[in-house]
Amino acid sequence: MSRTVRVEHLARVEGHGGIAVELDGERVKSVRFDVFEGARLLERLIRGRRFDEVSPIVSRICAICSAAHALTSIEATESAFEVEVSPTTRRYRDLMFRGENIESHALHLFLLAAPDYLSYPSAIAMAERHRDAVALGLRLKKLGNLIQDTVGGRAIHPVNAVVGGFGRLPSTDELVALEDALESGVSDALSATEMVASLPPAEFVDADTAFAALHTPTRYGYCSGDAIVLRRNGDTTRFAIEDYRALTNERVVPHSHAKHSHNDGVPFMVGALARLAVNGAMLTEPARSVMRTLSLTLPSRNPMDNNKAQAVELILDIELALDDVRRLLNDGPPAESRVPVAPRAGVGTSVTEAPRGLLAHRYSYDDAGRILAADVITPTAMNAASIESHFRAAVAADPAADDATLTRRLEMIARAYDPCISCSVHLSRRRPPGDRRAPREGAPPCRTRSESW
Amino acid sequence: MDGTKPTVGIFGLTGCAGDQLAILNCEDELLRLVELIDIREFLMASSAGDPFARLDVALVEGAVLTRRDEETLLHVRRRARTLVAIGTCAVWGGVAAMGDGMDWHTGMRDVYGPAGDGFDAMAPRALHEVVDVDFSISGCPIEKDQFLTAMADVLNGNAPLRVCYPVCAECRMRECNCLLSEQGVPCLGPLTQAGCHARCPSLGIPCIGCRGPSDDANVAAGMELLTAKGLAPDDVARRLRTFAPLPTVTVEAAV
Repeated sequence: MSRTVRVEHLARVEGHGGIAVELDGERVKSVRFDVFEGARLLERLIRGRRFDEVSPIVSRICAICSAAHALTSIEATESAFEVEVSPTTRRYRDLMFRGENIESHALHLFLLAAPDYLSYPSAIAMAERHRDAVALGLRLKKLGNLIQDTVGGRAIHPVNAVVGGFGRLPSTDELVALEDALESGVSDALSATEMVASLPPAEFVDADTAFAALHTPTRYGYCSGDAIVLRRNGDTTRFAIEDYRALTNERVVPHSHAKHSHNDGVPFMVGALARLAVNGAMLTEPARSVMRTLSLTLPSRNPMDNNKAQAVELILDIELALDDVRRLLNDGPPAESRVPVAPRAGVGTSVTEAPRGLLAHRYSYDDAGRILAADVITPTAMNAASIESHFRAAVAADPAADDATLTRRLEMIARAYDPCISCSVHLSRRRPPGDRRAPREGAPPCRTRSESW
Repeated sequence: MDGTKPTVGIFGLTGCAGDQLAILNCEDELLRLVELIDIREFLMASSAGDPFARLDVALVEGAVLTRRDEETLLHVRRRARTLVAIGTCAVWGGVAAMGDGMDWHTGMRDVYGPAGDGFDAMAPRALHEVVDVDFSISGCPIEKDQFLTAMADVLNGNAPLRVCYPVCAECRMRECNCLLSEQGVPCLGPLTQAGCHARCPSLGIPCIGCRGPSDDANVAAGMELLTAKGLAPDDVARRLRTFAPLPTVTVEAAV
């Protein structure tokens, strides 16, 4: 007997997507993570735009990752023009990444993921009996936004970061206010750990999982990496930043489910759990202690552990952001907030870590500093194949479970990835509404791009 | 559920979800706000939705880029007493609409190859091009204070106050130096709807028009001013239509 387990419209995620798993008796026939978000063709629309117009446009790819998109775009442009920014600019960018990560993780853990574990439809419903937990999540979220607002000039779609540096750097008073807020954030982050530790276990996937993340050589972070690292079954593969396409196109090792209809390669997971797998050696002592509290061991075989990994990053980011702010206060304001920029023809690449994983931007410019071509690969696009493989693993592990149980598990897995569907659009296959056909056997998970570099 | 509370639905069509996120970013007000209203649908924040509930207020962000978006919007319009467009995409079309006349079919083919033909895609439209819109709150994203004030107005049966003056007015109030006249930087403040408290110019960053045109935007004079600062007319036109169609259309259409 065959049946299809379906989530028509996935709630509590950014963007519009659905899930369909087709079963033939106890055999999983097909799995699908569908995206029906409209295509805005932004990479096409920015062609011909001058370099200073680019980052504000591409940040609109996604609000929750807008700082990561803006900064990755800026750094790709700087790499094309061979612009070297000041150490102060680097530190402020680092701080913006941490601010966005804190906001995004607090939103995800408390408002999107936690209601599943406690069987509520939303954090609003959850607040009736768990008001303190929701208020805690909102406080942490606000802290992340305060950092983004102070440094980036706006919590969503930052305006202050530009090619070469910043418009105006925060004043000493603003930095002191940030320091105070971060100091109180430390105990909130520890309370968040306790909240996450208190959630009921979610163990319905136990699978070999490959992880990819930006390797940051000196400090746990989200930018200024020296390579992209793929970890799989104890093997480590390094890719140069410029060669990010070699990672995203790498499908050379057959997936363990040979019948897997949508992938001819190995899916890999990106995001907080992947970052811990790649940069675990950089963890601070408080972060290690949080990992013990959460019984999180690496490498993980359960994608639900991404929620725990986000809790680890919360404490790590608050701690490191506090360190950043103190150093900035100590250094005093620099003479200049940005360096001059001279456009030239060239190609520039930047790869960073958005809250939900690896993010790559590559632009080619003409000699007047106008975009000739752009390529953006987002974390959720990279995660799509891995999400499907974990859907398959979860259903295959317990195919006799009823539809309600299976849909709940599938939704929880999808949410654990913290998907950002607006971001993923241009790389995912889509189908017209109402088309419920199973995917073609062997259909590729990603479109093949016509542009080449 | 208390039947006397106004029923509210929050929806996102195609966009970045930034306006729904801006609502969730009202961290200090959110829990009190939701006590005053009965949220019947908010897919980004809740898996319990009642897709057929009558709505006193529907807040819709994003532009219409798919048949699915269009169907959702028509359905929401039928259910809602008051439909509020939130964010620049919903009010003006937003960044996706910057192509200004680019044939969407060709664009899809260009990006997706022949497979582009099979996708559910159409040229971007603002909400008012598809349904009647009662009120608009522009911004990319919407400003928190403006949203909360507008909600208070709508819930009390008042029409939200429209910001009809340009960013320059707020920039003057903040006593910022003029980027355009003093430094020759191509700032779109004179043509852009205020409400952001001159966020960008106050940081020394030129306005890029993310809130859409102001009511009385004098585009011809603006073009002249900007070209006099050394920008090619094409550049000015392109910059002006980053977030909205060229502001020659009357703003009344969006209200």
